[in-house]
Amino acid sequence: MVSSPRQSIYVILVTHMRMLLIEDEKKVADFVARGLRAERFAVDVAYDGTTGWEKASGTEYDLIILDLMLPGINGTELLRRLRRQGSTAAVLVLTARDATHDKVENFEAGADDYLTKPFAFAELLVRVKALLRRPPTSRTHALRVGDLEIDRLTQQVRRAGKRLELTAKEYALLEYLAANAGRVLSRTMIVEHVWDESFENLTNIVDVYVRHLRSKVDDPFPAKLIQTVRGVGYCLGEAVPA
Amino acid sequence: MNTRSLKFQLIGWYAVVLVAGFGLLGVATYLALQSSLAASLKENLLRRARQISQLLREESQGGNEARVGKEIQARYAPDLNERFVRITRADGALLYLSSAPKSQSFDPATLPPPIVSDQAETSRVAPLVGGRKMLLAAHALKLPGGASYLIETGAPMDEVQADLRNWLRFLLAMLPVVAAIALGGGYVLVKRALLPVDQIAASAQRISSHNLSERLPVAKTGDEMERLSVALNHMIERLDAAFQHSRRFVADASHELRTPLTVLQGELESLVQEPRLTPECRDRLGSALEEVGRLANIVEGLFAISRLDAGEAATEWVPFDLAQLAAATADQMALLAEDKKIRVTCTASMGAWVEGDRARLKQVVVNLLDNAIKYTPENGAVGLTVKTEDSKVVLEVEDNGIGIPPEALPRVFERFFRVDPARSREQGGAGLGLSIVKSICAAHRGRVEASSRPGQGTRFRVELPSVPVRTNHNQSQRNHEH
Repeated sequence: MVSSPRQSIYVILVTHMRMLLIEDEKKVADFVARGLRAERFAVDVAYDGTTGWEKASGTEYDLIILDLMLPGINGTELLRRLRRQGSTAAVLVLTARDATHDKVENFEAGADDYLTKPFAFAELLVRVKALLRRPPTSRTHALRVGDLEIDRLTQQVRRAGKRLELTAKEYALLEYLAANAGRVLSRTMIVEHVWDESFENLTNIVDVYVRHLRSKVDDPFPAKLIQTVRGVGYCLGEAVPA
Repeated sequence: MNTRSLKFQLIGWYAVVLVAGFGLLGVATYLALQSSLAASLKENLLRRARQISQLLREESQGGNEARVGKEIQARYAPDLNERFVRITRADGALLYLSSAPKSQSFDPATLPPPIVSDQAETSRVAPLVGGRKMLLAAHALKLPGGASYLIETGAPMDEVQADLRNWLRFLLAMLPVVAAIALGGGYVLVKRALLPVDQIAASAQRISSHNLSERLPVAKTGDEMERLSVALNHMIERLDAAFQHSRRFVADASHELRTPLTVLQGELESLVQEPRLTPECRDRLGSALEEVGRLANIVEGLFAISRLDAGEAATEWVPFDLAQLAAATADQMALLAEDKKIRVTCTASMGAWVEGDRARLKQVVVNLLDNAIKYTPENGAVGLTVKTEDSKVVLEVEDNGIGIPPEALPRVFERFFRVDPARSREQGGAGLGLSIVKSICAAHRGRVEASSRPGQGTRFRVELPSVPVRTNHNQSQRNHEH
């Protein structure tokens, strides 16, 4: 794990973030809550719409993760009530429905982001952090992972002081990995970020680009930075994160 | 000409009935004319006989019955008028016999002798030489003195026969005219009568699995056409219900599958990052995760197809240049091809404007290119062409790969269909890519077809309706060599 003073401050900030997870599927709620708590968020869980509404209207949360198909009060209705009440909590909608009109309806009701099941936990985490406006290290011009340096203004990449020539796509991929250094990114996340959603089922393109990237970034150097986590995705760092 | 077609048969029957009716009418008028002409001639002859009878009565009262011959000659001149007059006494003695006519059309002496009958007036037909006929009328005269005479008048039926022949000639001459009118009129009538059927067929043709909510227009005519369109509409309704049922099933099924998949993926992901795992354990979990990912892709694909088929394709509907999109997509996928040392050539004449959902149509290009690259061996070539043909924009993806056997070709767009199951599974495809392409094309009122020669390559051809060019474009050719 890459560790820097900046990240320690971030961890302290995060622990003060309160989150409410409203999800009727117990198992989904459990692993999401577990994962978020491991990231040191304070997470409350509600398993139905009515309880969710009681908690959400009684406490100030920074973020609410909301499933749509809920017993009691359904997600969209809960969201409307919340916004009518004047809540400013960021809301991430989590659902198995991904028809366009569903998305539009919920964005209109006041959702801030939308994630379709099934999802990679890493993706949920990235979105949660984006919503909390506490991005890890990404707002600086210079990204540093080990001896790899990326200048976001000039789009120049150096490793151990040596300049690397990358194509535009290779650069976009490396920058995305570096901005999330130490975190495993799924192929779907990479495709959606570096390409677009029409490449969704074409995740092998990621493998090809990663291979090319490795030949430039890793092969000439003894320490390998691009890590593969089988079944999950890729991660930039000196070792696979534990 | 299709002799079994309803149109042909109807026209045929129409013409036969009309011509037969005309024939029947012809026969009837011929017979009526014949009897009417004969009756009028007979009436004519009898009137003359009565006049002669009156003459004879007057002369015999004057005691000079022999003078009657002169009177007849003077008044009626039978030889000039081609008439025959014969007066016979009851004892059989001939009182008067007209002389042969100037035209020599008959010889009065050779005509059959009179027939005595009880009736006051009779008529008969006597044959003449050469098949001609003579109509003879007889009037019996009984004088108060006891003397009785039979006055016969006659005329050849030549005129009657000539009139009949003329009528027959006229009828025969009219027959082809009537037949032509029957055929022409029949054609127009049948065409008009069958026009609603053609319209119904054309409307029915427009209805496919993508617009089953549409109905045929029903004309409130209360006839067979209304019943036909109503019956067809009911059938479309049942089809619609069946289609909706199957779509809802797929949508529900993929929806239901999402939650367990989410749990599986979430749990496995958190487990795989557990630091105490042995590398072997981690690898196995990774393998399980890969399968979860594939399952999720299948569910995603199925759900996408069911939504597309339900007509929920377009998140946006804008005009754009497909050539530009295709070229940019080919660019983005370049490395994928390069990885297999495949050369991708893109020939796109800019200004191929279509209307629709950019992201969806991009997916068509992505899926077709991915498919082509997958099934083309190393050092092969893939060609992407976009051009405008008439009112269509045509996108073609051609490869020189392994090809598709002819028997498998019609099925390549079916869900989960694989030409070679073992090979494809190892390539990681779920067998939904081409189905999605087909659904997207249909949702954009277009079509896709595949042609292939095994061992030589495959060509996929997408046709989309083009829209008028929105901006000024130049027919520049862009060639990408990767």
